[in-house]
Amino acid sequence: MIEQKFKCPNCGEIASFYGNPGEQMLVTCAACHSKGRIVLPLQSHTNNYAIEVSHLKKVYGDLTAVNDISFAVKKGEVFAFLGPNGAGKTTTVEMIESIREPTAGVIKLLGCDIRTDFNGVKEKIGILPQEFHSFERLTVRETLVYFSNLYKKKADVDEIISTLDLDDHKNMLYKNLSGGLKQRVGVAISLVNDPDVIFLDEPTTGLDPKARREVWGVVSGLRKKGKTVFLTTHYMEEAEFLADHIAVIHKGKIIAEGSLEDLIRRYGKTSILHIKKCKGAPDVVKMLNQEGFTDVTSEANGDIAVKIDYKERVLEILSHLRHDCIEYDSIDIRRSNLEEVFLRLTGSKLMEEE
Amino acid sequence: MNLKIIWMDFIYSVKGWYRSRGGMFWSLAFPVILILLFGAIFSGVGNTKYTLYVQDRDQSQWSEGFNATLNATKLFNIVVVKADVNVTQYIKDKNIKDMIVIPEGFGQSILESFANPSVTVNLSFYYDPSDTTTTQVVRSVVTSILQQINSNLSHGRTIIGVTEVKTITENFNFIDFFLPGMIGFTIMQGAIYGSIERNTKYRKDGILRKLLTTPVTRTEWILAKMLFMMFLAGLTTALISIIGIIVFGMTVNITPLVIVIVIATSFLFSGMGMLIGRFVKEEETADTAGGAISFPMMFLAGTFFPLEQMPQFLQVVAHALPLYYVNEGLRNSMIYMNQNDALLNGAVVIVFAAVFFIAGVILTKWKED
Repeated sequence: MIEQKFKCPNCGEIASFYGNPGEQMLVTCAACHSKGRIVLPLQSHTNNYAIEVSHLKKVYGDLTAVNDISFAVKKGEVFAFLGPNGAGKTTTVEMIESIREPTAGVIKLLGCDIRTDFNGVKEKIGILPQEFHSFERLTVRETLVYFSNLYKKKADVDEIISTLDLDDHKNMLYKNLSGGLKQRVGVAISLVNDPDVIFLDEPTTGLDPKARREVWGVVSGLRKKGKTVFLTTHYMEEAEFLADHIAVIHKGKIIAEGSLEDLIRRYGKTSILHIKKCKGAPDVVKMLNQEGFTDVTSEANGDIAVKIDYKERVLEILSHLRHDCIEYDSIDIRRSNLEEVFLRLTGSKLMEEE
Repeated sequence: MNLKIIWMDFIYSVKGWYRSRGGMFWSLAFPVILILLFGAIFSGVGNTKYTLYVQDRDQSQWSEGFNATLNATKLFNIVVVKADVNVTQYIKDKNIKDMIVIPEGFGQSILESFANPSVTVNLSFYYDPSDTTTTQVVRSVVTSILQQINSNLSHGRTIIGVTEVKTITENFNFIDFFLPGMIGFTIMQGAIYGSIERNTKYRKDGILRKLLTTPVTRTEWILAKMLFMMFLAGLTTALISIIGIIVFGMTVNITPLVIVIVIATSFLFSGMGMLIGRFVKEEETADTAGGAISFPMMFLAGTFFPLEQMPQFLQVVAHALPLYYVNEGLRNSMIYMNQNDALLNGAVVIVFAAVFFIAGVILTKWKED
């Protein structure tokens, strides 16, 4: 399984494709939709990848939960698998973790085919399953020691407790912990064997914002340590905040993939300049239209929104406002985000899908 | 096979159980409460309908008439013993309290007594002197019947008399019957519900999924859990036995066969719990299913009351239930010291255990569909 970037000869869009060395593929450009054939190079770059998924499929009767998806996760990156509930995230991650049998496809973890050599990589991976709850009547420390003893390779349990800021709770029974602490213990359990690759399946679902931020802090810490993190989530801000590489899955198919910047550049396209409580808003709208800003809207309270294609145009607008002595309360620029990307790709909001 | 992992899991299972008030209650306090309660209520109390064994060696119209008169009192469950059975051995083997033996020539002697008034005939009444309540009742009823018969035959002259023979059986009462049943029942409950918890709650909580991705094998994990179940079963057996000895003055024999039956019972009902957890995946529903199976079995398998007190068709059903053989095996080995029957019961338990445990292990999956 290798990744190769190709530039669309029609529009110049650059996209990544995954497959086996020498494989021929029929591809469609995500930007201009022109079709073409590509051939992946014969030389493999497998060593760069922690996870390689090729043509993965899972079918339940008439339902295709995961439909021929391919992607690769580089070592040391935080990979976010983003999609609404029921999109196929957990099915995919559980196939990678060997919890579910794929209908078709090849999965490699740290270069090992999991169908034949999953036992060989168990020592090198750490997993937090979705909605995980540990043994209720063991303390936090006992829980970590229990799971640690299942592995040959062991991390220092007390160090994990400190890293995850669980020192004050280490002698508490698991059942008495708050939801946020339980999730932190879940993440801690996934680290007891000092794994190279960590899978966190919806680690912040059901947590309050504070607890969610705590978990984010832990994941950021893992990235700093050079760990590969595979994170499934349906929270866009989580993917935006944590991920180096994002794959958006929708109805069992990966519909977009790349870094946050890539996705926004490819699918977000625009930023919006907001002028708050602008005096003489209708005249300002007219003025901006005359200056070539075609997508300008205003509201009764004087708020104006201007779509801008590139940042130099912001200075242009500010210059016009100053020149015409137009008064306003404040200005802010809202960049496109994943929500907009998802909306553009699927025609619906991520949360509406749930 | 990593024995360190098995031992570690066992130790953590004990810790978890020790901290669970519910677990402690159901596995230790509950059986103790039941033993004390039922023991206090039923100790020394016999049945309202008495079981009387009758051996008719004469097989004449006269002997049949006597049997019919006994039956007509409706006080007895008459159990007919074949004419060629050795009475002394039979009483010892079956631990029988009261038995009447009608001698060969019983009818002929009565007929001869009409011509020759000096001819008499005696029934033999075997009784357990320690079981005074039952013996008194049987003795007085039999005596009344004979008085009536003698009166009808000869206007008061004694033609039919009774020879009383003391039996040498031990004095077993309800608590002797109940204690082994309580051990079997408690092990069954612990094993079934423990297995259900491991296969439904642990599945729901993602623990099985988590374990699947760790180096521990399913065999190691199941063996660790079985070690814990056997520990619990041993603890239960010891505790209930100690209560029986101290509170009720029982003689409890912990034979090697008892240990084998206790271990086999743990495997048997753990396997049954696995099967329930395999097919009923929701925790609450699985608990209900566990209750639906274990509760009727508890009553039908002779845990609390002797099978002889149940209707005939239920007795047939009981013989198909594994708990029946557990109860009988424990009783025969621990209390009655009838090791031959216990061995047979134990063999049946082992066969049930092998079938259920192997089926449970094979059919239980950690992987998701």
